[in-house]
Amino acid sequence: MRSIKLAAGLATLTMVALSACGSDSTSSSATNAPAPAATTAAAPAAAETTVAPVPADTTPAPIVGGTGEGGELRLWLNGGDTPDDFVKFAIAEFNKKHPDVKVTFERQQWTGIVEKLTTALSSSDSPDVIELGNTQAQAFEAAGALKDLTADKAKLGGDDLLQSLVEAGTYDGKFYGVPYYAGARVVLYRKDLFAKSGLAIPTTIDEMLADGEKLKADNASTPNFSGMYLPGKNWFAALPFIWVNGGDIAVQDGSSWKGMLSSDKSVAGLTEFQKFIQETSGAPKDGDDSKDYIAFCNGEVGMMPAPGWKPGQIINKDDGCPAMEANIGAFAMPGLTAGTTSPAFLGGSNLAISGKSKNPDLANELLQILVSKDYQKQFADQGTIPALKSLLGGITGSDAATAQAKAAANSRFVPSSENWAAVEASNVLPDMLVAISGGADVKAEAAKADAAIEGLLNG
Amino acid sequence: MENSPIMEHVDGITPRHRRVRPLPYVLLAPAVVALGLMLGYPIVRLFTLALQEFGLKQQFGAAAKWVGFDNFRAILRDAEFWSVLRRTLLFCAVNVALTMVLGMAIALLLQRLGSKMRLLTMLGLMLAWSMPALTSTVIWQWIFDTQYGIANWALGRQGQSWLSNPLTFYFVATIIVVWMGIPFVAFTLYAGLTQIPEEMMEAAAIDGARPWQRFRDIVVPALKPILLILTSLSVLWDFRVFTQVYVLQRAGGITRDTNLLGVYAYRISIGANQFDKGAAVAVVMVMITVLMTVFYLRSMTRQEEL
Repeated sequence: MRSIKLAAGLATLTMVALSACGSDSTSSSATNAPAPAATTAAAPAAAETTVAPVPADTTPAPIVGGTGEGGELRLWLNGGDTPDDFVKFAIAEFNKKHPDVKVTFERQQWTGIVEKLTTALSSSDSPDVIELGNTQAQAFEAAGALKDLTADKAKLGGDDLLQSLVEAGTYDGKFYGVPYYAGARVVLYRKDLFAKSGLAIPTTIDEMLADGEKLKADNASTPNFSGMYLPGKNWFAALPFIWVNGGDIAVQDGSSWKGMLSSDKSVAGLTEFQKFIQETSGAPKDGDDSKDYIAFCNGEVGMMPAPGWKPGQIINKDDGCPAMEANIGAFAMPGLTAGTTSPAFLGGSNLAISGKSKNPDLANELLQILVSKDYQKQFADQGTIPALKSLLGGITGSDAATAQAKAAANSRFVPSSENWAAVEASNVLPDMLVAISGGADVKAEAAKADAAIEGLLNG
Repeated sequence: MENSPIMEHVDGITPRHRRVRPLPYVLLAPAVVALGLMLGYPIVRLFTLALQEFGLKQQFGAAAKWVGFDNFRAILRDAEFWSVLRRTLLFCAVNVALTMVLGMAIALLLQRLGSKMRLLTMLGLMLAWSMPALTSTVIWQWIFDTQYGIANWALGRQGQSWLSNPLTFYFVATIIVVWMGIPFVAFTLYAGLTQIPEEMMEAAAIDGARPWQRFRDIVVPALKPILLILTSLSVLWDFRVFTQVYVLQRAGGITRDTNLLGVYAYRISIGANQFDKGAAVAVVMVMITVLMTVFYLRSMTRQEEL
């Protein structure tokens, strides 16, 4: 009788095991980036593939154009930086010349994009045209994942392209990544709350701290209110504090990199950042900046560091608050003394063609549209810095745009190494900042981060 | 299929010319081929990767160099690997213990409930069980959200970051893993409980055995085979937990201090593009899993012999 029970038990077990496998495979088939052989490690593989669809819940239906008889192109752009209307314009332009080519646009999330591109670009199902953060481009150029565009550079903007982004897009003398847009981070603020508290735009960091404290005190009745909204993982916001105090992330010493976060100057900056978080921020100490516009719309933010296109996201009709528009102001983050600015992080993107693209010539034509004057003018109109120097004068005069132009004049960049993408993917800076936000010892955490950065950059 | 030759041998009759009967092998072939492709190829690939130098360049076509056991040497010398391993084993032990104890408690509860409440409870268990790991993790993460989560609202602890401290991070992760693990354990144990003859329990009660004594001396021994199998399976599942930890790390927390072995291997390989070292970690994981499986199979066959 016992063996009958056991047999019944085993039968149940088998069924369960099978159904468990079943649910695994259904969820993994939902991913559009099949893991390459390199990642199909036996035991954890099934679980790994289930994580890919995480962003799917926020991804809208893809934008598609063309009939598909003359071939297909897949375009990946990331985050909220490029509004849907821009893409529709580009696809329409492309289909004027190639009505028989089907162009599918799939919006990707910035979070986890390095991992996703690593698998997608090496698979047979690779997208054709992709967007890379300027801090990430070098890794893929060095690895040979992208198509060499050196011969077509003149058609793709040529000498009119922004120099700093051309550098991000060039590896070993060859041109792989076409500049797409740039943005320097600014500080957004609520004009109405500033007026209510009788504040003016701060001219030094100390003033900014005092303003943040006052805003927080004056709005104490609002739950989660931040004088300065600083979620712990927002490492872009911490960099100006390090730089303005004379510190740095890492410096090249001969052929190897040396971590500089635990240097006295960097520690001074990080300690100041910690003080801002403790005295003025009500943001989650381990959150990132992906939902900051929600907090802004909820009225929980007095000031917040953000890229220049952020006002567009705040007033978007779907999950933003168009009514807030009149209250959004912006300034370039001040420096230590009046009249100066803190070095801003210069963000930006490069476009590239996957080495595995089946239609590289068509992809090249689509790329030419994306860096054409007509297309790039849209960026200037929304206050983003376009990739073409000739359009810089045309950036329209919103607060954010003028603040951004001012910030960009004094801007810096992360260590330019093909291994930097690994530092980002390993969450070294967010880990350090979350610990610091929680009140941990700055010097000790910075030393840990330095060790990790040196290991990855010199690896 | 192998029966007849063995029987002949046992009977002491010298085996006749052994005919090769093709049918069994033909019938076995599809399963063997499928298993070979689905399991064999990834494992072979994993082991070769662990013995090569394999980074982003190799991923995009450069030739991979054989480096012997260098990758294993590198990870075994890394203090972080050992702390992740320790953490993983501890997490696994705590989760399995909680799953088993709570699963047993719910199974006993199911036995005593009236039919309507029992149906309702079972329905609830089914729902928890049928939910994909990703979905349930995201929902639990919302519950524990720092600013808008219902947990902080209910506890009146506004702004409490559950994920930023490793201990509370694992508290949340444990809730999710145990919550998803309980239904299977509870159902299986409940099925086992219904097989224990009621007369035996009654007789024991009349003889003066207290409830705890009846549980210890009748229920547990009767369910021992099932308990063993369930524990072994839970150990295997909880040892290689990935989704819950990965999603929670994205939502908050410090990655470095909350990595478990599965996530650690993923971060090394996919995150830092060191596919070779990630594969070495995965090989170590496979080895440990194989050891656990051997234990599981042994305890199973031993039960059958009884």
